[in-house]
Amino acid sequence: MFLLVALSVGTMLAGCRKGAEAQTDILIAHEITPQPPVVGVTATVSLKVTDKAGRNVTGAKVKIEGNMSHAGMAPVFAEAGEVAPGRYQAHIAFSMSGDWVLLVDLTLPDGRKLQRQLEVKGVRPDDG
Amino acid sequence: MLDQSSEPTSPTPPVVPTFDLLRVPVLGRLLRWRHARTALQIPLLLLSALMVLHGLFGPTLAPKNLATTLTWVHFRGALVLLLLVAGNFFCLACPFMLPRAIARRFIKPKRNWPRWLRRKWLSLGLFVLVLFAYELFDLWASPWWTAWLIVAYFAGALAVDSLFKHASFCKFVCPIGQFNFVASTLSPLEVKVRDMDVCTGCRTKDCIRGRRDPAEQLVVLQRGCELALFQPRKVGNMDCTFCLDCVQACPHDNVGILSRTPASELTVDPLRSGVGIFSHRKDLAALVLVFTFGALLNAFGMVSPVYALQSWLARLLGTGYEAPRLGLIFVVFLVAEPVLLLGLAGWLTRTWGGSRRGLLPTITRYAYALAPLGFGIWLAHYGFHFLTGLYTFIPVMQSAAASTGWAFLGEPQWQLSGLPKAAIYPVELGFLGLGLLGSLLVSYRLAEEDTTTTRSKRVFALWAGLCVLLWVAALWLMSQPMEMRGTIGG
Repeated sequence: MFLLVALSVGTMLAGCRKGAEAQTDILIAHEITPQPPVVGVTATVSLKVTDKAGRNVTGAKVKIEGNMSHAGMAPVFAEAGEVAPGRYQAHIAFSMSGDWVLLVDLTLPDGRKLQRQLEVKGVRPDDG
Repeated sequence: MLDQSSEPTSPTPPVVPTFDLLRVPVLGRLLRWRHARTALQIPLLLLSALMVLHGLFGPTLAPKNLATTLTWVHFRGALVLLLLVAGNFFCLACPFMLPRAIARRFIKPKRNWPRWLRRKWLSLGLFVLVLFAYELFDLWASPWWTAWLIVAYFAGALAVDSLFKHASFCKFVCPIGQFNFVASTLSPLEVKVRDMDVCTGCRTKDCIRGRRDPAEQLVVLQRGCELALFQPRKVGNMDCTFCLDCVQACPHDNVGILSRTPASELTVDPLRSGVGIFSHRKDLAALVLVFTFGALLNAFGMVSPVYALQSWLARLLGTGYEAPRLGLIFVVFLVAEPVLLLGLAGWLTRTWGGSRRGLLPTITRYAYALAPLGFGIWLAHYGFHFLTGLYTFIPVMQSAAASTGWAFLGEPQWQLSGLPKAAIYPVELGFLGLGLLGSLLVSYRLAEEDTTTTRSKRVFALWAGLCVLLWVAALWLMSQPMEMRGTIGG
């Protein structure tokens, strides 16, 4: 009984937490090339970071961690450089075909930290 | 050699001096301790609770969550490796049995498990259902569903064993248990009698009846085997959970965990206590087939060609839903393919090999020969995940601790993964080779038993051909680029 109550309360709390994360004033648009990404071909991840008013967010530190949907796979890491105001670019070498998720960690100039999750569907195997 | 052998053959192979795990200093004493099982179950129960909580309330990304990481990477890998090098020790330490053991202090079930369900068909169906759900709901990618799967196991074990006497859940329901029973036929250790002469002189049969209070015979001080395995007539590991109740109950200290030749129990066909005769158990043979072909299917689900097949089926069936496509793949792999391949091999065994068994009894008997190969495929698959993700539990633990405010484990070291894929490929090939070798040896012995000397080579060639065909399919699967897809953050 205790376990069931704990599970129910926890499920509700988990639901609340997800909602809270959705509220943010920073928007990230992303593009990945080539499309679809291919194993063995370094992919370029381009991010456009803006605030709610559409102004570019400059001077942020951006780190990217790529994970597969299956646990136990080696993650890949990259740091993105700012190539133009509010535009950041990183290079990622996907090590396996399939579905990936990119965790984008942003440290804003004012010290705030944010994390975004980007899905990358269907990375293709290296046929060559 | 026998030409007509639907009759049970003579029992166990010759006894050779054996290693006894219970005689090993420290470890043996620990295992003989009355509370050994509970002591092993408690940490696993706590770990399971942690996994459930993290699965439900922790990160939604599978590689960051304890439920998915420990279940699909570490637990499965450790399970098959332990079965390979030792025996069915997971069932010994099974955490699902601990709440059930506690409940049984208060609830004394009165019903026996229904007679019409006393075969493996139900558990076989559940085994297939778990394999199907794994693919359909991308369980490997969903901490939430994985957590509920664990909860369902606990609830199922508790419900079944609160209603029915003995170890009904383990013997007739648990899909993991059935997997372990089949795989443990290939294990090098077995719970068995040390000296048969001692059993011959035994009058109390405590190993099956339980140790009774001398003053009050209805009071059981130590239960006997709840899976109906009477030690003197027990053959092999089938249906044995290594619970060691028989070790505790035997007043003569005559039950040990002894070494034996892996797979030897598959080559003989005596009447086995609590199991019956292998060649008469179609349900067990079907379980072995699902175990073997399911290993191929489960591995097929993680390589690139499965998505090409799914796309083709979507066009063919004109549906975007995954369930019917997946259902069709399961029917082909787990029903049509075994029926076709074993049907052909069985028919040729009779017509060309001269076996006097009927077609179905022939298939039933030789199906057991596929168990080693099936185990080799599971080992290659789960061993791959286990070894490539060996250290991944460390950062997940660190992260879980940090999320509760306990940073004593340090910053999560997400770069930790495991052994390089290139180093593991030869290991996978080794497991597959070992599986093939085992299946060939068992096939050879079965063919020798089944037919005349001259024809046994033909029969062996037939079943060896089938084993090699499946082995080539497994080799092809393992050489394919891995491609994991799944609903992320489910």
